[in-house]
Amino acid sequence: MASDRRHRVLTIARHEYRAAARSRILVVLLAILVIATAGSVIVAAAEYASRLADYQAYHAAAVAGGVTQIAPSPLAPLSLLRGAFEYIEIIGAVIAITLGYLTVSRERVNRTLPLLMSRPVTSGELAAGSLLGAVGVIVTLVVATMAVAVLSVGLVGHDWINVGQAGKLMLAFGVAVVYMATFYCLGAFTTASTKVATNGLMVALGIWLFVVLVLPQIGDTLDADNQIPGGLFAALGLGHDGEVQILTHFTAYETVRTSIEAASFAKHFERFAFAMTDVKERFRSLSLPDLFFQVRASIVWILIYATALPIALNHSFRNQPSIPQGET
Amino acid sequence: MITTVTSQQLLSLRRQRVFLAALSMFVAMTAAAGVLGWSSHNTIVRVYDEAVKLLAADGQPTPPNPFLLKPELSLLSNMVVYVPLLGALLALLLGHLSLTDDESTGLGRLIFSRRVSRTGYAVGKIAAAAIALSVIVLVAMAVSVVSLMVVNQRIPPISVLGRLGLFYSMSWLYLMLFALVGMAAALLNRRRSLALLSAMGAWLVITFAIPQFTSALRPTSSLNPIADPVGSSQRFFQITALARPISIAEQYKAASGQILSTAAPEPGWQTALRVVPLMVFVGLLVAAVVILVRRHDFSRSGNGE
Repeated sequence: MASDRRHRVLTIARHEYRAAARSRILVVLLAILVIATAGSVIVAAAEYASRLADYQAYHAAAVAGGVTQIAPSPLAPLSLLRGAFEYIEIIGAVIAITLGYLTVSRERVNRTLPLLMSRPVTSGELAAGSLLGAVGVIVTLVVATMAVAVLSVGLVGHDWINVGQAGKLMLAFGVAVVYMATFYCLGAFTTASTKVATNGLMVALGIWLFVVLVLPQIGDTLDADNQIPGGLFAALGLGHDGEVQILTHFTAYETVRTSIEAASFAKHFERFAFAMTDVKERFRSLSLPDLFFQVRASIVWILIYATALPIALNHSFRNQPSIPQGET
Repeated sequence: MITTVTSQQLLSLRRQRVFLAALSMFVAMTAAAGVLGWSSHNTIVRVYDEAVKLLAADGQPTPPNPFLLKPELSLLSNMVVYVPLLGALLALLLGHLSLTDDESTGLGRLIFSRRVSRTGYAVGKIAAAAIALSVIVLVAMAVSVVSLMVVNQRIPPISVLGRLGLFYSMSWLYLMLFALVGMAAALLNRRRSLALLSAMGAWLVITFAIPQFTSALRPTSSLNPIADPVGSSQRFFQITALARPISIAEQYKAASGQILSTAAPEPGWQTALRVVPLMVFVGLLVAAVVILVRRHDFSRSGNGE
């Protein structure tokens, strides 16, 4: 019984994967993502290569001069992937929503949904199979992006990442898969919940716009230090200690600001990915358990979103009309 | 003929729930830009007060008033971000709906079974988009004026209103570009979803990919009205910077910074030059939409997705 169930889910997953691979629009969006990612990493790597050469020249001169205490390199090759993660955050989410939209609209347009529902397949199996197939597509996409990014760092930046860095990178890309799978569920959920599939797509894109672009933007611009060019505290002649002291009077304000940011799923993905890829200097010296501790709130939020949306997807598939209604 | 198509399209847009939802979102975000400006104003006042106390306790001189560093219209600096994000997507949707509705309902087939000029039809659709966007921009401007009055406790002077008018006129032109992209994508793709997503692909490239290529602006930098300065010491950027004048999103932001006085001043002719590529692209897209409508096969409308 369980093996039959597994067989049905895997069959649907294979169907989902093959259909997605044949979609022209997905190929176009994927091309935009890979080209933009490669472009961003190559650009950052080119600058990195020149800074690395400067450091190596300094290091060689210091060694030749008999200097015993040489400053460690301030460079972090993983941080070159910042642009790659930002593109996954923005374009990757659009791709995932499109994938979700196509899952539902494809069956409606082809009039195959009634046929599918006439077979001994439950809505839960349909949802699980579709999600599994979509995760397969997303993993392929993320692996392709990761390969392009890592090769760009090595070939253009002349600095290959080590095993420890590769482990952290895998974690960041693993969360990228969860992030995109969640947006896939959003796209499929809104499309399955609307009679006109394109309207569902528009609703999902509206939510994407708000969660990925607007909420982080609001949180960022409300930051007290971002109020004037060059920083408000610097303009007032205050250092870090003065800033911390003054911000103690803004506890409620900061709570509201961070809550706005916390409402954005994209911001949590960004925090986790940036912590794993050494984008923030303060995280570079931390061990993996310490890094997890630092971003624990983001991990919890990611898990909440990643659990809630597949449940909603299952619910919407169960209530989806088996006969196509209205315009698709 | 043009008037009939225009008025029918405007009526149709008014009845579109998805369009009205997107419009409400844009107006709400315009109001939010005002609230954020007000919040920013209050934060600066409170931080300044606390800084004065802190520095006085340490026996240090009073710092300069930060409002001298913050121009009056910087209150609305978030609009420079919301127009290319929310406004452009709203405009894409408007352009998309203008043509796909006639396709999916079969209206296109019906219209062209009569003696109707295709050029007149295209011009009518473009005029409807232009009028709808004018209304949206006027509403946004009214909301901005109210925000300025509430925060500054006075009616904005004529010079400020003039700058605001100039900013929203340029924003209208920017939005027209995306409405035309939405129309062109709808005419080039048979399927509605493909049309919408390819128009969005164009938006992603214009808003995020090109600025990264020409100025090394990371995607999230595009979300902040105060952008990090970009170094041009690298040979790569010295070359790609040559394409910066045609990076529409960057030129729009730079010109907005000048009009709202939130950026370091530059000669007026330089700001005017920034708008030229935008005008050229809009002109080219108008011509493209007219040509595409003339060549489009409306006999299949009502059969597609």
